[in-house]
Amino acid sequence: MRLKPPHPGSLVALAILALVAGGFLALLQTGSEGSNLLAIGPYLLRVLAFSLIQAGISTILSLSFGVALALALTRRRFLGREPLLALLGTTMVMPTIVVVFAVLTVYGRSGWLAQLLIGFGIDAPLSIFGYPGILIAHVFLNAPFVAKIALDALGTVPAEQWRLASSLGFGPSQIFRHLDWPVLRAEISGLASLVFLLCFKSFAIVLALGGGPGRATLEVAIYEALKVDLDFARAASLSLVQIAICLTITLLLHGTLARPPVATTLRGAIPRPDAADRRLRALDFVVLSIGLLFIGPLVLSILTGFSHIGAITDLDLLQALVTSLGIAATAATLACCLALFLGAAARNRRIVLRSPRTAALFDLIPSLLLAMPPFALTAGLYLIVRPFADPSLAGLALLPLINGLASLPFVYRSVAPRLMLAEERYGRLSSALGLEGLAKLRIVDWPLLQRPLGSAFALAMALSFGDFGIIALFGGAELRTLPYLLYERLGAYRFEEASAIGLIIVLVAFFLARLSGRLSYARD
Amino acid sequence: MFYRLALVFFSLCFAGGIASAQMKPVLTVYTYSSFAGKYGPGKIVKERFEAVCNCELTWVTAEDAGSLVGRLRLEGEGTKADAVVGLDMNLAAEAKALNIFAPHGMDVAGLTLPVAWTDDTFIPYDWGYLAFVYDATKLPQPPKSLKELVEDPSGPKVVLQDPRTSAPGLGFLLWMQKVYGDRSDAAWAQLKPRVVTFTKGWSEAYGLFLKGEADMVMSYTTSPAYHVVVEKKDQYKAASFEEGHYLHIELAGMTRTSKNPELARKFMDFVLSEAFQSAMPEGNWMMPAKAPKSGLPEAFKDIIEPSKALLFTPAEVQANRRAFVDSWLNATAR
Repeated sequence: MRLKPPHPGSLVALAILALVAGGFLALLQTGSEGSNLLAIGPYLLRVLAFSLIQAGISTILSLSFGVALALALTRRRFLGREPLLALLGTTMVMPTIVVVFAVLTVYGRSGWLAQLLIGFGIDAPLSIFGYPGILIAHVFLNAPFVAKIALDALGTVPAEQWRLASSLGFGPSQIFRHLDWPVLRAEISGLASLVFLLCFKSFAIVLALGGGPGRATLEVAIYEALKVDLDFARAASLSLVQIAICLTITLLLHGTLARPPVATTLRGAIPRPDAADRRLRALDFVVLSIGLLFIGPLVLSILTGFSHIGAITDLDLLQALVTSLGIAATAATLACCLALFLGAAARNRRIVLRSPRTAALFDLIPSLLLAMPPFALTAGLYLIVRPFADPSLAGLALLPLINGLASLPFVYRSVAPRLMLAEERYGRLSSALGLEGLAKLRIVDWPLLQRPLGSAFALAMALSFGDFGIIALFGGAELRTLPYLLYERLGAYRFEEASAIGLIIVLVAFFLARLSGRLSYARD
Repeated sequence: MFYRLALVFFSLCFAGGIASAQMKPVLTVYTYSSFAGKYGPGKIVKERFEAVCNCELTWVTAEDAGSLVGRLRLEGEGTKADAVVGLDMNLAAEAKALNIFAPHGMDVAGLTLPVAWTDDTFIPYDWGYLAFVYDATKLPQPPKSLKELVEDPSGPKVVLQDPRTSAPGLGFLLWMQKVYGDRSDAAWAQLKPRVVTFTKGWSEAYGLFLKGEADMVMSYTTSPAYHVVVEKKDQYKAASFEEGHYLHIELAGMTRTSKNPELARKFMDFVLSEAFQSAMPEGNWMMPAKAPKSGLPEAFKDIIEPSKALLFTPAEVQANRRAFVDSWLNATAR
């Protein structure tokens, strides 16, 4: 028997696991004499229960709204559809404080809705603090993202199936059941765990819109342990609790995963036969109107920052923009490379080695990274590199690394299914032809990957572009990103300038999303 | 492997950048971001210090005072900081416990603080009282005492900061504790229905207030001066409370690991000099710790003067914070 060299993806997976484990060990080792490491207490238990419910409802709402939007968008062509699609990729990357202010501008006590109601003679005091505020913010952040991913998935239904469907004279419900649902179902479990984890960890939004400390998340306690108590060991153990819960949820959802049927295909744009159905027309009109009414005002409220852009255009801003773009591009490149390796390893296990269980382990790594509080990971890794590197340089080097790891789950979501698809469609053919290695990557995988990889790159870039997380710890006069600048201005009472910087972040994310939309015209 | 390569690559990039800097001795001072930001006093302080020190002052920033201490804890004795500007009283005990600060050894006579200063590690550089800020055009009759605010069920709505994540949030928790002592649980339960929310930081809370979500916001007595000087708006006022106000003091210290102890000491002396102190009022929107001879700007003369300063010592805060926060949680988290 001959030992095969391990798949490079396995090495990447091991490296990531080693980094995470090493970070934890370093944190735990900083030692605290307190033995209350695992003491959760009644308050945290209540917070956990609240987080589960809050994240559950947010996920269900975001998924149903997002999928409904995607179905309506895939059936309709209208003026302004392309910018709208780019907009969908934008909301998720907004800095949390921008989202909080947007929600309050529209739905607050003296917000637009309240003024509209007064205009109609209804003078009921609005209060959205509590579940309504949290849910509005979370659905606004996540539903458009769900819609975008679902829309992409709907586009992967093979052309043959469409031809078959129209020659069999499928009605709208049959089309949904036999064509749309299978591809959606394959995406939904992954999307659900992604959205769930994001909402479960959501922190500033839950505190600001929750209305009281009863509505908080575990992340608050982790933050407190890291930044106030300086009890790193407790922060690490709380992070482990968070990771355990998130991985359990991911695994539960993973059980529902079903892969769609595949077929060899080349496709152009297929006119959907159900687009002409009258009932669907009405339904889509309603869904799109609701979507526009919900997303539109919130986005418009962010545009009000426009009038202050003049006040903020200076060298500082330009530098911060360049720094942000540089860090974001590095992080996105890293995330894409890692996702490709991991995805290839998972595919190898699933199809070549016929071992779907170990393949599922690879799928878990991105979720693990998502459940990880970036602040804790940073602190842990920092403690590892501290003995070897100059402290200030180490912080700078960690920045793109942590951002890359943080956006890996998103990239992996769009890249891994495509790698599988390529193998399922062309795997046997290419092995019959003896295609291997780079040649296989170029001829078989690349054409299918190009499009999702491009949009994943743009998404990863946008995500780390809007991220404030660890720059809070390792920023500096020489390393200022746009979100950093935003918080700096807030600290100096310049709320209007901060709103303008928020707008710029959103605009850059919008152009990145638009770019990835353009890329997606590349043929399958 | 990839990480190590990336690390080496970035380290080289940044090392190259640093090597190209001038040969003058460099003083590295850690501070929080808004201090060194565009509108903060950092630029003026740098200019004025460099004019007298024949050195280069470099600001290194973290988000807030809590992040500063967290970063120092992570860096330990390897820290590049020669001095730190921006700690506060409630973090002083934790910062001291890091064992990286050196005694300041300065004569701190002539401070204009509301309390006597005896600490031998940190020096105060500016201060302010916590206060509820309100819009006088919308709230003509603000409460006259903390008791009135807490105990009047039809009183104004307030937005506060979470004491677990925010400095003024913790300050207000301590304020309640000073005024109500053992009965603060009941007081929190009485106030809770009129607390719009407890935000993560000062910025969210102040933003919520400006958007009209609450009638009053926990901030500083100096906040109205900003609106007068920069925005020319005089409707924002700080409410004066009979029981006295909680005091917020910001601190500076020098590290014992500094490679330039002489320069660091020079900087500490500079912190209490006219050149530094006169930059505080309209740079940091706080009261200078040693009032400059040139006097205070006009808008600062209208600031309310509380009758009494309320303050826990750093050691008391360190010993009781957990218990205070837990009882606050019990009273407010349903």
